Amino acid sequence: MTSAVSAQGLIKTFQGKKGSTVEAVRGVDLSVEPGEVFGFLGPNGAGKSTTVRMLTTLTTISGGSAQVVGVDVASDPDGVRRKIGVALQDVGLDPRQTGREILVLQARLFGLTASEASARAEELLELVELTDAADRRTKTYSGGMKRRLDLASALVHRPDVLFLDEPTTGLDPASRLVVWEEVRRINALGVTVFLTTQYLEEADQLCSRLAIIDGGRIVREGTPEALKADLKAKRGGDTEPTLDDVFLDVTGRSRERGAGEVREVQ
Amino acid sequence: MNALKVLGGRGLREALRTPDALLPTLLIPLFFLVVNVGQAARIFPTDTTPFLKGQSYAAFQLPATILLAASFGTAALYLVEEIENGYFDKIRATPVSRTSIALGRLISEPIKIAAMTVVIILVALPFGVSVQSGIVGVLLLVLLAAGWATGYAAFLQFVALKTRSAAATNSAGLVFFPLLFLTPNFVPRDLLTDPMEVAATLNPVTYVMEAMRSLILEPLNWAAIAPGFIVVAAFVGVMLVINVHVMRTYD
Repeated sequence: MTSAVSAQGLIKTFQGKKGSTVEAVRGVDLSVEPGEVFGFLGPNGAGKSTTVRMLTTLTTISGGSAQVVGVDVASDPDGVRRKIGVALQDVGLDPRQTGREILVLQARLFGLTASEASARAEELLELVELTDAADRRTKTYSGGMKRRLDLASALVHRPDVLFLDEPTTGLDPASRLVVWEEVRRINALGVTVFLTTQYLEEADQLCSRLAIIDGGRIVREGTPEALKADLKAKRGGDTEPTLDDVFLDVTGRSRERGAGEVREVQ
Repeated sequence: MNALKVLGGRGLREALRTPDALLPTLLIPLFFLVVNVGQAARIFPTDTTPFLKGQSYAAFQLPATILLAASFGTAALYLVEEIENGYFDKIRATPVSRTSIALGRLISEPIKIAAMTVVIILVALPFGVSVQSGIVGVLLLVLLAAGWATGYAAFLQFVALKTRSAAATNSAGLVFFPLLFLTPNFVPRDLLTDPMEVAATLNPVTYVMEAMRSLILEPLNWAAIAPGFIVVAAFVGVMLVINVHVMRTYD
């Protein structure tokens, strides 16, 4: 069966200051199966967003290759764009348009006719429960409403794979739960979800399998249960490790209490 | 073509929904017109100033007013905002041609400036200004202004795409002021001092201004009008090619 997302030796380099080269992603291999909710975890600056930007055609690939539903990202970016929905870390909405206009515009850009686009917008507004706010400009929306509209706009063309880059960052706990519910609902429709997050609880709740990236390389991959079981076996004892423990173990970080807060240190 | 229409429509809606951004585009150039005419009209009385060709000094100043109104390029600032908030990536992640994305936002500029040019001409009429080249002249004047606005908005869009910075894009907009001051803005070119005449001759804006001035002050004179259209066509052509290239290689 064709993988929903696959990458072989994916590399991204940037030109740094004084002609130096910065390697943001250093040879990532991935395989995401159709129908999965795949979690992509890592600390800040680990290469998560850069990897997603390469897979979603938003930034060029410096080395290696990637395919989405069998379509090569580098040689057929438009083919990939037709297969994917994208909701990035920054909620990308036009503040001067209404929620409905944004969905219709997005649908038209994916080739739907005006009437098809209107019908699809209506359907999605219902799905994300924004029908009442549909004709208000998005600058009046709350953070949670913006995120839900962003999710809806990523679904206008019924994508095979939905890329969500830190979809709950900055949301309050209630809004976060709503987004989780949306992700489950979208996945239940048969959409493969590629989710990056810094929230390990989120990964534990939503993901059937995950990979942890650090320093531009995948350092661990598996189901949440398998990763926790591996760590328990490695440590010994009766204490059940959490996904936080797995994350801290594989990224070489530890916890330190300072100024009343628990924080990660390397 | 469909994507261009859809993106262009969005740009127009955006312009109509931001009157606070449109008003300065109209009022600031009119302010300059009033101030410049107020300061220099007595020096250049209609009956003893041959280059006015029987009209008021406001008619001579009108092209600078129109060109200034056409050189705000607010669409580029909206683009920077969208780059910063992520909406631009949302558009880039759709399977539409990069050319449509590059041109879609620019479509509203000529339409906006065409309407604004008509308003400026209407405002100037009570001050003794008349367009001597008639209705065809008005249309050509509107066309020149709309063309210049497209080129200038494309220039600012290019800066926005390269720098992704609102401050840099705003600053680039100010480039028009030195260009405007190096034109025969207050008197015809042959009355400028030698260094200023050379600078004005080298400045492409001069030819657009002179074409507009010719349309206002005299019957259709293609020898004066054509260079303006050639400059605008070249400016728009070069800027659109650059924009499409930058959009295709945007990373």
